[in-house]
Amino acid sequence: MTHRARVRLVSRLLAACAATLGLLAAVAPAAVASTAPAVGSAGYLRLANLSPGAPTCDVYLYPVGNTHARLVLRNISYGMVSAYHALPAGGYTVALRKAGLPASSLPVLSSTISVSAGQAYTMASLGPSSDPRLELLPDTRTTPEGKALVRVIQASLGQRRVTLTAGRHVLVRNLAFGSATSYAAVTPGSYDVRVTGKSATAADRETWAAGTTYTMVVLDGAGGLQLECLTDEAGSKTRPAGAAPLGFGGTAPRPGSPLWWLAEMAGGGLLAGGGALWLRRTRLAA
Amino acid sequence: MGPAGVERHHEPPYRDIPAWVRVPGLAVRIRVPGRRLQRRVAAGAMAAGVVVTALATAGLLSAGRPGYVAGAPPPVTSAPHGAWVASAPQTAAAHVPRPVFLTIPAVGIRTPLLRLGLTVTGALQVPPTTALAGWYGGGPRPGATGPAVIGGHVDSRAGPGVFFRLHLLRPGDRVYVRQADGRLAVFRVTVVRSYPKARFPTAAVYGPVPTPQLRLITCGGAFDWARGSYLANVVVYATLLA
Repeated sequence: MTHRARVRLVSRLLAACAATLGLLAAVAPAAVASTAPAVGSAGYLRLANLSPGAPTCDVYLYPVGNTHARLVLRNISYGMVSAYHALPAGGYTVALRKAGLPASSLPVLSSTISVSAGQAYTMASLGPSSDPRLELLPDTRTTPEGKALVRVIQASLGQRRVTLTAGRHVLVRNLAFGSATSYAAVTPGSYDVRVTGKSATAADRETWAAGTTYTMVVLDGAGGLQLECLTDEAGSKTRPAGAAPLGFGGTAPRPGSPLWWLAEMAGGGLLAGGGALWLRRTRLAA
Repeated sequence: MGPAGVERHHEPPYRDIPAWVRVPGLAVRIRVPGRRLQRRVAAGAMAAGVVVTALATAGLLSAGRPGYVAGAPPPVTSAPHGAWVASAPQTAAAHVPRPVFLTIPAVGIRTPLLRLGLTVTGALQVPPTTALAGWYGGGPRPGATGPAVIGGHVDSRAGPGVFFRLHLLRPGDRVYVRQADGRLAVFRVTVVRSYPKARFPTAAVYGPVPTPQLRLITCGGAFDWARGSYLANVVVYATLLA
């Protein structure tokens, strides 16, 4: 290999290295941006039967592409809401069967959903029993500092449109059957919550805490209307700022004296210099 | 070896030995190796010298910086997903009694719990003693829906603190919190992480979650001797079993 060929090879290798580094630098921010803020790989799902007149059912949850149910909730009747279940993030198929029917039977309703890590969802059957549908409602919201968040699900067929008030605040006006509002921020405290339909009304006293999200469910009840308050997510009332100073260093390794390193530097320099000198002498002698 | 042999060694091949090793008397016994080998040895010595100097320089430069705490946890430990656990019913914060005692058998932690508030700057108040841990009173109580937070010191100026061995926890380990009414809340560790303090994940630690969870916090990583504080926080995430 001639000298020129060698120079060319080296410069090509250097260029390839530089290109690779440049590519890595370009890709790195994208890779960082794509990581979710969630800790761990779990998402959360709860299931609700909010379809008035619908028969009691069994709810099956299958990971996509798997015929083995991950979770089965039995005898879910109208108005029932399960607790949240932690699930590995991913795709799932939710299937509703009439209570007691075998798992091999055809489901009344089914839907495929995607659960993200760190996110909570409510999978609800909504609408009249003649035409029910499954809807996935996202439940994870960052609460504004010092506020509570409240959402309303209207599942009363008896009163097709309802108005919900908390104290003097109107949470929602004329909410149609089978629909849900988005979360609204409210000042934490105790409220007289009142739901009013065309021919019925119901009231309840609720305490809403800061940093917590709630769902008010309007149901058909014995006396016309019924109110149910669900806690969706709870956080800290006040979030402490930043990190916590929880150590004084008594068990941390003490920094060593720089003398040792200086001595080692001197020794290394001497060795390198001597070696170079020797190399030169042997070259000259040759 | 007769006197004649000694005579012959009066003219050793001095030229090939560098001046700094040309010790009179020594040369008699040194068998001078071939030039090629000499060159290799010289080049090797030079290279070794350069490496030692570079390492020593790096060592000197980093000596002013804090060293690493042995056994600091790996940055990411993800939780294995075990069998289904019967889900706990949602529990209102008001119905869960305050926590009084923390036990973590896996790492030998046993401590009464103090109540912690906020400092004037709005940061988490830390226990006034390194021997006890405390729970954050501005958040949910352990066992209630949401992220309950328990903090403890990793060490004092003199030695280990109550959470010295916290970073050794692994996913699956059990954490027990005794409540004021004598009942026990049992948590399972899901994730152990270490965060640089400048990038403390406030939302992940204190933000809303839909199930009863626990976060155990202490210091970790390297110690900054100039500022007198650790550079990282170790956070253990756990979820309620019963």
